[in-house]
Amino acid sequence: MIDTKSSPKPGENTWLWLLKIASGVLIFALLIIHLIVNHFVAPEGLLTYADVVAYFQNPLVVVMEGVFLVFVVLHSLLGSRSILLDLNPSPGVLRAIDWFLSLFGLAAIVYGLWLLLTVANQSV
Amino acid sequence: MPNPHSKPANAWRWFDPRRRDAGSWAFVLNRITAIGLTVYLYLHLIVLGKLAQGPEAFDSFIELAKRPVVIFGELLVVIAGIYHGLNGLRIALTSFGIAVPYQKQLFYGLMIVTIIASLIFAIRMFTA
Repeated sequence: MIDTKSSPKPGENTWLWLLKIASGVLIFALLIIHLIVNHFVAPEGLLTYADVVAYFQNPLVVVMEGVFLVFVVLHSLLGSRSILLDLNPSPGVLRAIDWFLSLFGLAAIVYGLWLLLTVANQSV
Repeated sequence: MPNPHSKPANAWRWFDPRRRDAGSWAFVLNRITAIGLTVYLYLHLIVLGKLAQGPEAFDSFIELAKRPVVIFGELLVVIAGIYHGLNGLRIALTSFGIAVPYQKQLFYGLMIVTIIASLIFAIRMFTA
């Protein structure tokens, strides 16, 4: 462990590897806020529908949760790809994995943003 | 480090606890929490769809989520998130050549922080 350090593995683009690390640091900060709001600020331990709608009346919260959504999806799928690379997929299989993860990620982000805006547009 | 020539059939070895040093444990825990958190993330997004169905649908789900067994599951997710985040910071630092000789100490330190934070969340989640 002493001299080992993390670096892009074969088949991993350096910029995407860097994005995985940078997004990880960003979402960890946002995760701490997310956990505190959902488990400590919530009066009865969890936010009710009314609590969530009230929380999303603040535009900063909407932006923060939108950023959280986009980067957590990117991080999870880049990480999943990195795990799959350890299984030595053939170039054809890797191409299929890349298409699947890209479309899955796009769908998750579109759905998540739709949900976010739906909640933000509710009135208290 | 994982075997660069590993085959899918050998993937179970990622989780084999035998003959491991601290860095190897960090890797195993990082991978287990990564997979768990990924599965949780997408289930979480699907379940949050209840927010679009109105107050009754969401609040009845929240009542269900207050059962001890569900809280215990949520606590495991929180612990996984804290560990994965802290270990990720260690990896981020050492990726840029920072504190590379102190990785072991960083790992032990982050395990202590994970345990303390987990206890704080456990107390709050089961007593709220």
